[in-house]
Amino acid sequence: MLMNLFSSLQKNTEKIKEFLTSSDVAFTSVKVGKAKGLLIFIKDVVDKNTIGDLVLRPAEKFKGKPTKSNLLTIFLSPELKTVSDFDTALEEVLSGNAVLMVNGIDIAVSFEVKKFNDRAVTEPPTSVAIKGPREGFVESITVNVSLIRRRIKSTALQFEQLSVGKHSKTTVALCYMKGFADKKLVNKLKRRIEAIDIDAIIDSSYVSKFVSEHKKSLFKQIGNTEKPDVLVSRIIEGRVAIIVDGSPIVLTVPYLLIEDFQSPGDYYASPYSATTARIIRILSVTLSVLLPAVFVAAELFHLQLIPLSFLLTIVNSIQGIPLSPSYEMFFTLMIFEILNEASVRMPKYVGMVVSIVGGLVLGETAVNAGIISPPALMIIALSGICLYTVPELEQIFSFLRFLMLIIAGSLGGYGIIVAFAILLTYLVSFESYGAPLLAPFSPLVKNDLKDGFYRSFLKETSSLPFSLNKRRANKRTAKENFI
Amino acid sequence: MKTYQLKTRQICFFFLAFTVVNKLFTLPSLTTSLAKEDLWISSLINLTLDFLTIFALLIVCKRQNLSFLELLEKSFGKMGAKIVIFLYALYFLLKAYMPINEQKSFVELALYINLTTDIYFLPFFALAFFLALKPLKTIGRISDIVWLFTVIGLTLLITLSISNTDFYAVLPIGASGVKKIFSASYVGANWYGEGAYFLFFIGNFKFGKKDGAKILSCYAVGVFIVTAFMIIFYGVFTSIAFRQSFALTEIAKYTTVINNIGRFDYVGILMLLFSNVFALSIPVFFSAKCLDYVFNFNKKWIAPLIVTAILLLTTMYLNEFYATLQKVFSLYLSAFFLIMANVLPLITLFFSRKEKKNEKA
Repeated sequence: MLMNLFSSLQKNTEKIKEFLTSSDVAFTSVKVGKAKGLLIFIKDVVDKNTIGDLVLRPAEKFKGKPTKSNLLTIFLSPELKTVSDFDTALEEVLSGNAVLMVNGIDIAVSFEVKKFNDRAVTEPPTSVAIKGPREGFVESITVNVSLIRRRIKSTALQFEQLSVGKHSKTTVALCYMKGFADKKLVNKLKRRIEAIDIDAIIDSSYVSKFVSEHKKSLFKQIGNTEKPDVLVSRIIEGRVAIIVDGSPIVLTVPYLLIEDFQSPGDYYASPYSATTARIIRILSVTLSVLLPAVFVAAELFHLQLIPLSFLLTIVNSIQGIPLSPSYEMFFTLMIFEILNEASVRMPKYVGMVVSIVGGLVLGETAVNAGIISPPALMIIALSGICLYTVPELEQIFSFLRFLMLIIAGSLGGYGIIVAFAILLTYLVSFESYGAPLLAPFSPLVKNDLKDGFYRSFLKETSSLPFSLNKRRANKRTAKENFI
Repeated sequence: MKTYQLKTRQICFFFLAFTVVNKLFTLPSLTTSLAKEDLWISSLINLTLDFLTIFALLIVCKRQNLSFLELLEKSFGKMGAKIVIFLYALYFLLKAYMPINEQKSFVELALYINLTTDIYFLPFFALAFFLALKPLKTIGRISDIVWLFTVIGLTLLITLSISNTDFYAVLPIGASGVKKIFSASYVGANWYGEGAYFLFFIGNFKFGKKDGAKILSCYAVGVFIVTAFMIIFYGVFTSIAFRQSFALTEIAKYTTVINNIGRFDYVGILMLLFSNVFALSIPVFFSAKCLDYVFNFNKKWIAPLIVTAILLLTTMYLNEFYATLQKVFSLYLSAFFLIMANVLPLITLFFSRKEKKNEKA
């Protein structure tokens, strides 16, 4: 229940000190004209110079008697707020603002004086651009909003701020283009974010877990990016962004699988090279998932698939290998995954050593020792490299690679075919926030293919994909409902 | 406003993807055993029958916008509709049986080099069950993708095998005699019957101008491919054609390219196999949907489970009687297949007319 502020400063001070017991909270006595005042703030998160300029100096200059009606006119700050209850006053202090209480007045004033130590805007390590903008989002929501605002100077650009987390009270902002994004989608997201019941939101991935429609699904349902240019293009396409304070990763909804195959560089390069790169990415991912499995299935069950000369090479290389082809491949894949995991976690200067020890020494020695065969090593190396052409989906496809390998080793080629068919059935029927995951391939959306399997010339592609927003796109481009 | 489950494009892709693929395994050798070099005429008779059925159903689509179930309920009441739909549940169940067994034999005898057990084929039933849980629009969306596998696989196999085809082998046309040609068509009825699928598509897609022509053209492409495959099959194997039960793995291997770079024709075979696992699951899907309509189960997985379980158990335990069952299906059940796939859809044409008269009245 909200408890209103008293007009007595002493009572207010006693009450607020019951809650603000931490040593980093400062209670500074201030004189506001003829009345006594108390300024409350957290020492390490405010800009003290700003407090001096906006609060202390004007308060000292004021000679009259402060009243409820003239209190705001005393100060110069453009971001002043009046606070009338203890809950709001506490919330303001805890979020980095300074709150001034004055004796004889039953309201307080909140000043926007927060100053967090923000990281500089740099290129995100997860999506390095060869051509194009190099800016990346940072942890500060205000910086991130400014990066978006800089690119879209339109009244249609909307931000809706929400506070999530019982204790963290993290600022979460929905960002979308009015008239581009589906209003129902915005409201649905808003409802879901407001309903999040958690103590603290540490990162945007927490929000992602709560707003996902299929909680137990292996596949991604929420897109993400660290680059403002990518985000802006997605917002323009009618998506809604979720920006979380404290996280450099911005979420986007709805999500299509093809998004992760589209690199920002595709739009800055020529359509021909972009199309080639995109086809290579799709083929690489397919290859990375299926290659180890198909190789094992061929070795165990379908020798007719392997050309005779290659078969002889394999036979020579696997002579004396103690493991069966499926165990051998599984073992090699496990080593690869361990090395991968270690190289991600290790400090950079040790990472180099891991690469040399893991990649060269371990691989070479394992082959020489007769534990694994060169073809298995080569297959895993190729599969591993292929997977990193789409790093965003690395975890999902890495899991699928293991699954396919186990199926291939136990059930052979027909097992792989059926597993792939089940996967396809699952994917074609998978929808998140009204968007089919496999669009524009299934359902086939001819117009959106221009930025799907291939990349058409920029002026030929629609800025509003049909796959994302059928109703609005309907009015502009297509004539039929899509199924 | 009515929401449609399918699009005309998806129906076109459905016919492209699934009309051809399940007719490439044992059917050519089965037809050859009766019609010999006229196997393609036998096949053409069945395909023409289905073509006419689809044509008739397109007229139904043009006249009204009701689905088959709605049409039945309107004409015969709920109970009448349930009786007809139960017959269709039975029909799809039986229609699925032989091709699934055929696929099982193909996997065990032709695809694997080592001795296999029933376990290798079991995953198929997982797919059939999973697909049967999904709504009709999933079939449309699958067609959007799978047709590519069928087309690429077939193109590869036909390209590789055409150079070894003796086209004169199918001459003189009609040498087997009318009776044998029609007998071959009759015994092969189980492998055809696309009209029955289309019966369940009516009213589930928005029928627009030229849609009829598009659907029929795609089916005609399927007809052409099947006929061409039959001719190539006989042209490659000629006198031993009736023994080539799994021609797909053999048809392209005689080309010199294969000798040089290995059996890359398997890429095409595996692609067709991929399309075929869906083609075999489709009758299971429809059987489950029909059963669910008849008994109105409170859980959506019950009907798929019943249908899949029946097929799984009969496939596992009656597999050793495959030859006998094939005989029973060909001789005694073909009439049932023809009635359900061709005659009943044609009758639909009449009650759709009746309904239009009622509407006018």
